Amino acid sequence: MSRFFASGYSDSDLSSSDEELLSTSEEELINSSTDEQEEEQDNDESSDSVFATEEESDDSSDDDYGARARGPSYFLKSSFAKNNYSDEDSESEGEGKKVVKSSKDKLLDEMRSLVDKIEIRRDVKEWIGLLTEFDKLNKLLTKARQQNLGIPRLYISMIAELDSTISEISNEEIKGLKADSSRAFNTTKQRTRRFVKEHAAEIEQYRANPEAFEKELDEQSEENTPKPSKALIDELITSLRTIQETRGKKNVDRDEQIATLEELVQDAKGNDFHSILVYLMLIPLRFESSSLVQSMPIDQWTKAKNEIIALLNILEKVRNEYVVTELATATDELGQEPEADKNGVKHILGSVTALVERLDDELTKSLQSTDPHATEYVDRLKDQSTVYQLLLANQLYLESIIEPAAYSQKEGEQLARVVLKRLENLYYKPTKLIIISEKVGWSKLTNKQSLIYPKFEESDNELEYCNGLINHLSSLLYKQTNSIFRKKAMLCQIYYYSFNDQYYKARDMFLMSHLQSTIHTSDIPLQVLFNRALVQLGLCAFRAGLLTESQQILQEICTSQKQKELLGQGSNQRQQPASQIDKQRLVPFHMHINLELLDCVYLTASLLLEIPQIIQQSSGRKASNKLQATKSFRRTLDYYNRQVFIGPPESTKDYIMRAASSLQAGKWEQAINFISSINIWSLFNNATGIKEMLYEKFQTEGLRSYIFANIFFYEKLSVKQLASLFKLPEAKVLAVVSKMIYNDEISASLDQFNQSIDLSKDYELSKLHELALSLADRCQQLAERNERLASGGHQSQSSNVKDQKKIYSK
Amino acid sequence: MAQLTPAEIEVAKKFDLTSKIIPFLDRHLIYPLIENLDLTYDEKTIKDLSYNLLKDTYMNKFINDLNPDKEISQDVLKKQKEIEAKSEVLEAETKETLNLLSKKEVQEQLKSDKNHNRRYLESQHGITENKIHALYEYGQIQYNKGDYVMASDLLANFRILSTNNELNVSSTWGRLACEILLLEWNNALEELSKLRELIDSRTSFNDPLLQLYNRTWVIHWSLFPYFKTANGLETLCDLFFSSSYLSTIQASCPWVLRYLVVAVISNNSKKLKDLVRVTAQESYQYADPFTNLIKALYLDFDFAQASQHLNDCEVILKTDFFLNNEDENLPLISKKFITNAKKLIIQVYVKCYGRISLEALSETLNLTKQELKDLISSLDLKNATLDDEKLIINHTSTKIYQQVSDKVKSLGYKSNQLLENFAK
Repeated sequence: MSRFFASGYSDSDLSSSDEELLSTSEEELINSSTDEQEEEQDNDESSDSVFATEEESDDSSDDDYGARARGPSYFLKSSFAKNNYSDEDSESEGEGKKVVKSSKDKLLDEMRSLVDKIEIRRDVKEWIGLLTEFDKLNKLLTKARQQNLGIPRLYISMIAELDSTISEISNEEIKGLKADSSRAFNTTKQRTRRFVKEHAAEIEQYRANPEAFEKELDEQSEENTPKPSKALIDELITSLRTIQETRGKKNVDRDEQIATLEELVQDAKGNDFHSILVYLMLIPLRFESSSLVQSMPIDQWTKAKNEIIALLNILEKVRNEYVVTELATATDELGQEPEADKNGVKHILGSVTALVERLDDELTKSLQSTDPHATEYVDRLKDQSTVYQLLLANQLYLESIIEPAAYSQKEGEQLARVVLKRLENLYYKPTKLIIISEKVGWSKLTNKQSLIYPKFEESDNELEYCNGLINHLSSLLYKQTNSIFRKKAMLCQIYYYSFNDQYYKARDMFLMSHLQSTIHTSDIPLQVLFNRALVQLGLCAFRAGLLTESQQILQEICTSQKQKELLGQGSNQRQQPASQIDKQRLVPFHMHINLELLDCVYLTASLLLEIPQIIQQSSGRKASNKLQATKSFRRTLDYYNRQVFIGPPESTKDYIMRAASSLQAGKWEQAINFISSINIWSLFNNATGIKEMLYEKFQTEGLRSYIFANIFFYEKLSVKQLASLFKLPEAKVLAVVSKMIYNDEISASLDQFNQSIDLSKDYELSKLHELALSLADRCQQLAERNERLASGGHQSQSSNVKDQKKIYSK
Repeated sequence: MAQLTPAEIEVAKKFDLTSKIIPFLDRHLIYPLIENLDLTYDEKTIKDLSYNLLKDTYMNKFINDLNPDKEISQDVLKKQKEIEAKSEVLEAETKETLNLLSKKEVQEQLKSDKNHNRRYLESQHGITENKIHALYEYGQIQYNKGDYVMASDLLANFRILSTNNELNVSSTWGRLACEILLLEWNNALEELSKLRELIDSRTSFNDPLLQLYNRTWVIHWSLFPYFKTANGLETLCDLFFSSSYLSTIQASCPWVLRYLVVAVISNNSKKLKDLVRVTAQESYQYADPFTNLIKALYLDFDFAQASQHLNDCEVILKTDFFLNNEDENLPLISKKFITNAKKLIIQVYVKCYGRISLEALSETLNLTKQELKDLISSLDLKNATLDDEKLIINHTSTKIYQQVSDKVKSLGYKSNQLLENFAK
């Protein structure tokens, strides 16, 4: 049987080939409507007959090639198919003839004439001429192979004849030849032998029955053998090989190759090994074809997605037979099945993980290049759930082929990559969303279970489930030898905990990670993740009412000019268009942290910490050096206070600054009104809770400011009066004042009988006093620093040790 | 001891640390803890607990006493026989070694170099590695049988001879347990310092996690001797406030803060500031009346709350194994703690208030006026006038000259010291 024709469909079978074409076109329709499952069933029905027809193509008439034209004429085929799939056989045959006129026919004609010439020369034993013709023919053959035509049947028959002629020639005859013609004879002989050896089966077939070889027997087609014949396989492998050889080369028409492979997917149906091979070649090729464009076209992406799903399905089905893993050894020959291991499982070199990863990356790229405010963005975002499903399916597959003990080994790395992707798909979501993604993710994977973390059951507590999920995913990553996994997992975990209001866990992890000391040496995406986690931690501290912590954490990023870059949310330099690479680093919009909210939180925290201090300083008392003054806040406030005319507040910053000056003037209620009329708080989950928290803070800080401001004007302050002024219970006022007295912030004493605060007027500092005191303070600091240096800075190191231990004890 | 009211039992149960401490102790060490629960739990629970605790040890008679109703199963009997047989064999084996070691001429030959000793004993007296190891095993069995004196002795001998580092550490642990159970506190302290040396030396542990575990054990075990010896609490403060142990407490056993609070306050230690810092830091993961007391007093300045917590502390002082020290030779820790805590509250109070009504204060602190007066006079306050109704303190802030000179006074000395250190 000719391999060449094996690839085409004979006239008699055009109906079935039509069916196949029909299914292809349908597939396209389906793909565009993003329904992935039907295609398979559709093809399954037709697959048997397709295989049968492939075996029986016998005619060497020109018409055949066209029926299954490939390559450049692919588009013709599809249009042809679309127009005619309902037509009668004869008509489509006629159409086929038109289509046929391609380079391939020319090639075949040429080959045919060459074969004729060779036959003539063979008969007269004119070896030199024969060799030249033979060389030409071989060149054409390589060409034919490049065009996925396989080895033409006539070539095989020619070789077979040639071989028998050569073996008939006796030694005497050879000796009688002239030197050059003897050389030519030998070369021919070698080449023929080699070909015969390589393609013994076909030759054998031809020899056994030359007639039958040229004319397919009808009975064969009716046998409906489920497996494709060897010839077909060879043809498939050859096509794959040709494509493989051109991988990465320039001037290769990738679209054409993709089309070819799409066809091969159909051919390989029924043979799992080949299906796997074809998919493993097709999907990367698809990704490659769009590597030059900014993001992958959606239709290509969807196709790739469907193909990965199909591949995973196959792998799932044949798990006990074939396994695709990154650690398999490459086979010498493309089509050769790898050796089975002791369990009878054959390992194929390849990586589903890489494919899924790439799919996710492409989605991200596409999101990056889409306008986030358009509906397309939301539409595109919906694809994330499918990607998540795939990640999950892939994870389960890897879990089934990798031993749990090997998770931290090299083998586990592919699993770790999937898990990391999964984590990256989850960490920025609130628990509710995580639960939803989990539910959607598992919906297609009923009656399966993960070893790493079970699926969500209705009875589970949502928060606990999410914590457990994130913890288990991360702990798998912590076991990896590659530190990048650990770092990323750590940061994702911190981000998750911060985002979901578990401040202490997040903070402890952050301190234990010690990333802050090495992060500047990491690559940029990791630094961005670090900054994101840090900022989230600051926001979390704010929500928990820990203003000092929040302000300290946020300070560096919030006061930076490059806030946007630091968080991977765009660039501040407008004049320079961002490069492609810069753009790719950006975080997709749906993962952004609201910068205005961030500013608002930072400024509010600074306000509450700074205002009492500012008043304290301006009232002439020594300021405690505990808190480092935030210059940026003071600068803005100064600028604001200097303005001649202050309009009604518009921006968030305006509101906060107005609140600050109100608090300075002692009008705490006005201040809290300004703050709570900022709309952006509603972006927090429990906005009312946060406003309440802020209200309380404004009460106490207002009280503190009031006392600082009025310390020189009063001799006594009534606790009752203060309580009513700041709407606080008297006990609270007493507590606040006691704290101020105890910490030496004011010199005063409480009077239990009169329920009043006695402000002592012992001393008012002159300038000299003040300077002398601060000089003494400085000296003390210097001495302390010296001591710390002399002791080798062990203090900071020992805390490091503690943190490390904390990690290990987790 | 007086019975507790149901409310008090509730408090005691709520803040009972036994279950948290148990994982870090040895079986035998847990027994006294469980025995101590008699105030909070009924007799039967305690008996069951002790039976479950000890049934895997070899103290057969003792176990049977605990559990007279139940039949002794065949397995247990069989196991007991096996142990008997094994210990007989080991006894014979070790007897020779021990006899040898007690001979004078042998002792004279032994030097500080272990390797030398080993060669000497092996060539002259035929004491091999196995025989030395038998000492260890026999010691273990004796310990399990409850013969702590013998066990301690065997392990001490083993440690002299053995060169196996790991077993040496574990034999030191064994000796420490024996000494604790024998109530030989000074010996226990000695063993403890040996252990600390072993654990804190950088070379002994490659795995920081293992070191962390060992430190956690040390922290828990050390509670036994420190609370029973005269200067124990001071040493305890020193140990627990050393940076590596403090971080161990923070990382793996924050409940130990309770003992730290007691130690600092009852001892009038100068580490109060550190204590406040640590309790504030850990308040998110551990809180009991003791830490709450600190928090209420030094962070929230809520005196009523503070004295409330102090009341709860009193209950716990009665029920906690380490704190209800009834040794007559030692000053009662619980009493000391309560008095000192009250003094601290008054100190803070006095610092904030200029004119104090004794009536109100005695109410908040739950004291009679006379007691309060005594306490105040014991504080030895400056510028204070005390009469029947009120306490008036004249808060005069120190003069600026005084302040500046106070601040710089120590600088010269400190710098000199620094220089000297460098010169060394």
